[in-house]
Amino acid sequence: MKSFNARFYGNPRVYLGLAWLALVAVVAIFAGVFAPRDPFAIVGQPFLPPGSEGFLLGTDSLGRNVLAGLIHGARTTLMIAVLSTVAAVAFGTVLGALAGYYGGIVDDILMRLTEFFQTIPWFLFAIVLVAILSPSAMNLVIAIAVVSWPPIARVVRAEVMAVKAREFVQAAVVAGQRDMGILFGQILPNTLSPLIVTGSLMVATAILIESALSFLGLGAPGQMSWGFQIGAGRSFLRDAWWLVTVPGIVILLTVLAINLIGEGLNDALNPRLADL
Amino acid sequence: MKSFLLTAAGLALATALSVGGALAQTQGGTLVQITQPEPPNLAPYVSTSGPIAQVTSKVFDGLLEYNFDLEPQPSLAESWEVSADGLTITFNLRDDVVFHDGTPLTSEDVRFTIMDVLREAHPRGIATFRNVIAVETPDRHTAIFRLDAPAPYLMMALNSAESPILPAHIYAEGDIRAHGNANEPIGSGPFVFTEWRRGEFVRLDRNDNYWRDGQPYLDRIVVRFIADASTRTAVLEQGEAHVAGFGAVPYQDVRRLEALDTIEVTTRGYEMISPIVEMIFNTQEPPFDNQMVRQAVNYAIDRQFVIDNVWFGYGVPASGPISSNFEPSGLFGRGIDFSVPDRIDIANRLLDEAGFPRGADGIRFEITHDVTPYGEEWQRFGEITVQNLAEIGIRATLRYEDLPTWLARTYTDYDFQLTSNFLFNQADPVIGVHRGIHSDRILPGTVFVNGSRWSSPETDALMDAATVATNAATRQQAYQALVPLVTEASPVAYVLELRYPTVHSTQFADVITSPIGIYGNYAFAHQR
Repeated sequence: MKSFNARFYGNPRVYLGLAWLALVAVVAIFAGVFAPRDPFAIVGQPFLPPGSEGFLLGTDSLGRNVLAGLIHGARTTLMIAVLSTVAAVAFGTVLGALAGYYGGIVDDILMRLTEFFQTIPWFLFAIVLVAILSPSAMNLVIAIAVVSWPPIARVVRAEVMAVKAREFVQAAVVAGQRDMGILFGQILPNTLSPLIVTGSLMVATAILIESALSFLGLGAPGQMSWGFQIGAGRSFLRDAWWLVTVPGIVILLTVLAINLIGEGLNDALNPRLADL
Repeated sequence: MKSFLLTAAGLALATALSVGGALAQTQGGTLVQITQPEPPNLAPYVSTSGPIAQVTSKVFDGLLEYNFDLEPQPSLAESWEVSADGLTITFNLRDDVVFHDGTPLTSEDVRFTIMDVLREAHPRGIATFRNVIAVETPDRHTAIFRLDAPAPYLMMALNSAESPILPAHIYAEGDIRAHGNANEPIGSGPFVFTEWRRGEFVRLDRNDNYWRDGQPYLDRIVVRFIADASTRTAVLEQGEAHVAGFGAVPYQDVRRLEALDTIEVTTRGYEMISPIVEMIFNTQEPPFDNQMVRQAVNYAIDRQFVIDNVWFGYGVPASGPISSNFEPSGLFGRGIDFSVPDRIDIANRLLDEAGFPRGADGIRFEITHDVTPYGEEWQRFGEITVQNLAEIGIRATLRYEDLPTWLARTYTDYDFQLTSNFLFNQADPVIGVHRGIHSDRILPGTVFVNGSRWSSPETDALMDAATVATNAATRQQAYQALVPLVTEASPVAYVLELRYPTVHSTQFADVITSPIGIYGNYAFAHQR
């Protein structure tokens, strides 16, 4: 059987995904270097088309540089997506692990709670949360995390229940390890592969939620993001196509890249699935 | 190509026909108006929600109408007389007016409408008719208003949109606030209410017994409700709808529609509405308790940039709290011109003098700027303001909340520093301007009043004088003195006078014939 590395890096689609994501990440990290000015700064005539002098991707309805917006938007969008995913994964993992390990009444309570959150249409729920908490970067992270954790909890619970019955766990119990030691030391490390796959795909979903909220005007005010650019440009679709098209393509490519990587991880971590 | 030829032939034929019939106005036709959003009810006598009267002004009549110079014109009242002391106003009513149910209009209907309905239950009427202590009805066609103090602005509030005259025999029965006819209005206007299909349209048909002989010319008005902005534009573009105003069509789309031969755009028809885009300072808390800081912000705003790029040219810089629409009537004043070329230098100097030097990072202080939650134009306006303030060393963070939260923040809790705002001057400064700056309108919990909580005895006295003066010259002098004082104190930055565009099809003429535009009754509208 081939090693993880061979399976993961031997997949050309993973390369494409990693290349694009690395580009976005570098741009996000060094946004201030690539575009030193405030992306909201009014720097030129409004509605300059792409390719205009000094504005590779044109300007928006107020004369703001679209490229500078994309660069700074990468930072906002990635930061919110990654933070909210980390929060959702952490919370979902703890809940799912406890439910799966203890079973019984604990499982019932935690899973009914999870189902309660799952029954609320997640996007409407996110809108309501942001509207109540008032839009800000922190509250976007909270809202996206709150609507994203239930699938994680269910995945982790199922894995924990499966691993719990294995002999090495019983050996740990016999050896007198404490519950928490067994759960976090023995069981969870063996549930990581589905968790990594679900989590990586969740980053893509988080980008889409953040963009959709920003599109609706519920994004973090004063922070440039791709969704904001589309939302601000949508009224001008017939007059200035690039305002929605360019950030739209960037969102598409980024979400696609994350999905490619996620699938690559899945194939590499679950070799039996990959061979099917 | 074939359809183009057919259209061209049809146009030629239509042109030939209309030239032939040019002497008499064409009878017939259905005018489709777009109103946005759909009104919550059709009871303009208890609710001032904007869209309502766009429908009901065609169904009801007022005592008066107004021309573009804001002069009263006869309507239900053939003639009128205001006594020298301003305490008695006599209206002589037409004797040939019948309501849509066939009952003739009498002075009792006027008394009932003013005293029992508008003065009691109309949100603005409570203030407008406050001084009216009785309406006497010596005969069927004379109504005499008795006032305990003069109210010259009252004569500006008597059109069908603001003060519709109701048939007493119908509306006097039951509770006026929850009346059975609230969604099926019965009036004496040129069009009869026929049907309201929720979410789609209201249909109004020609009133064959209208008191103006031969009018209205149209057979029918259909008021359509279309939630999606781009659909509204498309429907107008294709000629399926014929008139829309009040921002129903996005501003950038208006520019495109304007280029079409089939569409005309006018900014007339808002002279009695006079919307003003402004920013309110919280004058009771630092840093905006300092007049120099408020003036500096006033100078920092690039008014022309906002007009050109947010409202796509549909506006002019405001010169104070009173719209220049009042210039012909003289109830107008010009304040400090904040749009001077060296405005940024002046603003920086004012802030230096006010004791807010720039820090090492170039920042003098930080504020939160609230944005009026009325849609994306307002967000763009907020983003420009942040940039403008950055030029003078103020770092502003935007806050965008829902309408109830924003209203409570601005008018109840006063928990804001600087917020954009949108107020209408209405038909008279007493009605639309005083509320924003008079000390008696600092009313926690009441919206769209004096949110800055600034006032001064001097400006209060000028407004009080203008409220009761029966002499036009006295009122003019009061406002000329008032406006410079207000702009100097700058409790509010008056940014621009919005000139709403009304889009209408060239197929119809004489649609916008009064200073209330699409709030007019369309009695004169006809096909070309």
